[in-house]
Amino acid sequence: MNLLFALVIGVLFGSGVFLLLKPDLFRVVAGLVLISNAANLTLMASGLTRGLAPIGRAAGDERVADPLVQAMTLTALVIGFAVTALLLGLSVSVYRSRHSVDLDELSRQQAADAVRREAREAPHDEEHELDESDEQRVAYHEAPT
Amino acid sequence: MPRRSRSQHLGVSASAGGAVACACAASATFLGGWLAGGAGIDVPWAPTWDLRLAFELDGLAALYGLLAAGIGVLVFVYASAYVPRHLADQGRSRREEARLHAAMVLFLVSMLGLTTAQDLILLFVFWDLTAVASWLLIGFDRRNRDARLSALMALLVTAISAVLMLIGILMLRVEYATTQLPELFAVARPSTTVSAAVGLIAVAALAKSAQVPFHFWLPRAMAAPTPVSAYLHSAAMVAAGVFLLSRIHPLIALDADLLDGLLVVGFASMAVGGVLALAADGLKRLLAYSTISQYGYVVTMLGVGGSSGAAAASFYVLAHALAKSALFMTAGTVTAATGAKSLRDTGGLARAMPLLAIASAAAVAAIAALPLTIGFFKDELFFKAALERGDVVAALAVAGAALTFAYMMRFWSGIFLGAPRAAPQPVERRLVWPVVLLAGLVLIGGIVVAPFAGLARDAAAATHAGAVKLDVAYHLDARAENLMALAAYTLGLLVLALRPVLEASLGLVERVGNRFGPERAYGVSLRGLNRISDRLHAVEVRDLRARVAAVIVPAAVLVAVGVAFTPTAGSYRIGNVLAADAPLVATLAVCALAAVAVTAPRRHLSLALTLSAVGFALATAYSLMDAPDVALVAVLIETIFALLFVGVFALLPGDVLRREAQLRVHRSRTVRDIVVATLSGVVTMLVVWAAFSRPQPDAAMAERHLELADDAHGKDVVTVILADFRGLDTLVEVTVVAVAMIGVSMLLALRARA
Repeated sequence: MNLLFALVIGVLFGSGVFLLLKPDLFRVVAGLVLISNAANLTLMASGLTRGLAPIGRAAGDERVADPLVQAMTLTALVIGFAVTALLLGLSVSVYRSRHSVDLDELSRQQAADAVRREAREAPHDEEHELDESDEQRVAYHEAPT
Repeated sequence: MPRRSRSQHLGVSASAGGAVACACAASATFLGGWLAGGAGIDVPWAPTWDLRLAFELDGLAALYGLLAAGIGVLVFVYASAYVPRHLADQGRSRREEARLHAAMVLFLVSMLGLTTAQDLILLFVFWDLTAVASWLLIGFDRRNRDARLSALMALLVTAISAVLMLIGILMLRVEYATTQLPELFAVARPSTTVSAAVGLIAVAALAKSAQVPFHFWLPRAMAAPTPVSAYLHSAAMVAAGVFLLSRIHPLIALDADLLDGLLVVGFASMAVGGVLALAADGLKRLLAYSTISQYGYVVTMLGVGGSSGAAAASFYVLAHALAKSALFMTAGTVTAATGAKSLRDTGGLARAMPLLAIASAAAVAAIAALPLTIGFFKDELFFKAALERGDVVAALAVAGAALTFAYMMRFWSGIFLGAPRAAPQPVERRLVWPVVLLAGLVLIGGIVVAPFAGLARDAAAATHAGAVKLDVAYHLDARAENLMALAAYTLGLLVLALRPVLEASLGLVERVGNRFGPERAYGVSLRGLNRISDRLHAVEVRDLRARVAAVIVPAAVLVAVGVAFTPTAGSYRIGNVLAADAPLVATLAVCALAAVAVTAPRRHLSLALTLSAVGFALATAYSLMDAPDVALVAVLIETIFALLFVGVFALLPGDVLRREAQLRVHRSRTVRDIVVATLSGVVTMLVVWAAFSRPQPDAAMAERHLELADDAHGKDVVTVILADFRGLDTLVEVTVVAVAMIGVSMLLALRARA
């Protein structure tokens, strides 16, 4: 079973990465869902024992499934759900502000914005404020008023 | 709205009152603690690392703590009159004043922690806190670009050097397995490691005290509002550097070369600060250069070392802090009254502001070391310590004192004597009487010196790690110290008389220093780093997918290399597949097929449905692995997921999704994606397989949990683990989900507002 689990986890992860590299935001989210599925299955499969469900068993019963990994997986499932919901919400709000869910299109827009902003704010560009010329530096020293 | 502004007013007054009360309480505590002969707190902090929250109010802590808190009281009162004017001048809301108070109190608290800390790690924490508070304070005029840049410079110079200090501390820890100062003093022996570690710590201290070659940040920090300068740059922030040197002096004294190094840096700072103060024109700028030079004296005396050096250093800090903060406040009051900020624009104010003139004359006299002020004794001790070290040091000391005399006289006469330049406006009394009080202390110290000497003696005892003899008095005879003082006055007057001749060359020195000095190195390296970061940003962040591939591919390759080079013979186990496992195997196969299928569909709805298929197959697998709780939750979540995806697609116009679905991806790109995906999938499989093969099946874990669940009166072990054993984790998890849901609903509500 070790090899089988590992194979399935590898397929889940690989498919997730493939989707992650797509330009469509929703496919990126789907890729993350697959990767978190791979993580959940890894947790579940790493249990030290397999056997009966750990409900209502008496201590000393040796054929019980490892409850610890089950608790961990539960936690991971719920957190993964919250994260995915947030990602979907973000994708929707990206669409609303940019009218696109295409990453190529979005980076084109961002680059165009940056050029426009630089043209507009060139004299007081916050980001490059350390790039002042030496003349300005000296001028500052001379005139503390 | 008068009502609102009045309540604002009350709020601001309350925060000002709170700040003053804090400072008063701190002064009273420190004074009481010192008079009672010291006190200490020692509680465990991180016992596994042997870190303790160890504070000790010894003489050194009493001196620097009293200066920070006592001068703090006066500066806070002064600020309550100065800052409203300052804000009104710039058209800012008075509410911003509270921010200044908060930062000043933060500074005061971190300074008090710094002075009392007995553990080097603890000391480092407070050290960085003072840097952060000073960044907030210097950059208080945040709309002013110079103020922002100056704050950044002060932060970078002091915080980067603080990293050196941390390295030094860790070196000491590795060597002696402790960071407690008293233990270190007991066990440290001269060695190269100790010298290197202490040297690194000393570099941080010198940067904080604005000593050559790190002095450039201090004049720039004068962009701060004047009360901040009066506080940080006379009594507290800058003093922290020499405090640290005094605190670790027993370690410095192990290596004579380190002491010589301090001597060189001290004299260089005295000279550079003194000459530039003689050249400077801005009032606060002159005082900043003077501070560099004055702390140069202190560093020199710590370099002289021994009992007399320690005594002279602590007395010097005391006398200088009192006088220098009075002078900074004088400069602020003059600016508030006349609007002038440089010597060029001031003059003849003695007639219009007689009280301020007299008070600041006392402070100037103290720094110039004239008799009848506390300052006379500081130079007496200084000369005495210098004489012990030899004739060259003594001669340099006289030259330094002469420079000090000259620029101090120039400062005072430039403001108060000569022809009146501008008619002063009346100012609040709170802008004058803190100066008068400090001047009073300076004059009292010139006559009744015993309490001040007592404080300095206790501080010096901690520095010297032994009893110190410190007796100061006027001696009306021709002893060497008196002659040196007279020589300094005479030389100082000579320099003052020659200054007009030297003016051009002094200006040149300042300009050359600015152009080619260490400040230039700072600017060049900062700009270089900025450029590198811009370039990295341009290369890496522009394209999300390139970045994902840039993380995944090297990670996969590295892990694959690791797997390839790990001896693995016999360590991969295939594991048994029993007949009973047939349904599980089938489910897992479906799951894998569905996962591959998710990558295929073009339409978004099919994407969502295939994704659900993966989820439900996994849920089935969980139920076949005898995990009913997990399976139940997984089914629930998959159901919500399916609805969520479909709902989100319904929110977007169909043509956007269709356009995305019909987008042709370049063939070479698809090939690249497949390669990356396969590589990462294979490596993941290898790693997971290796991990699964490692532990032997062991029933002990499940058994132990069954027993514990019995004790917790639960039947379902998984539920008991979640709700009881890891209850706090689950609580946090629920909070995370709640926060995420709030985020989602706010994101979706954004449209309503737009």
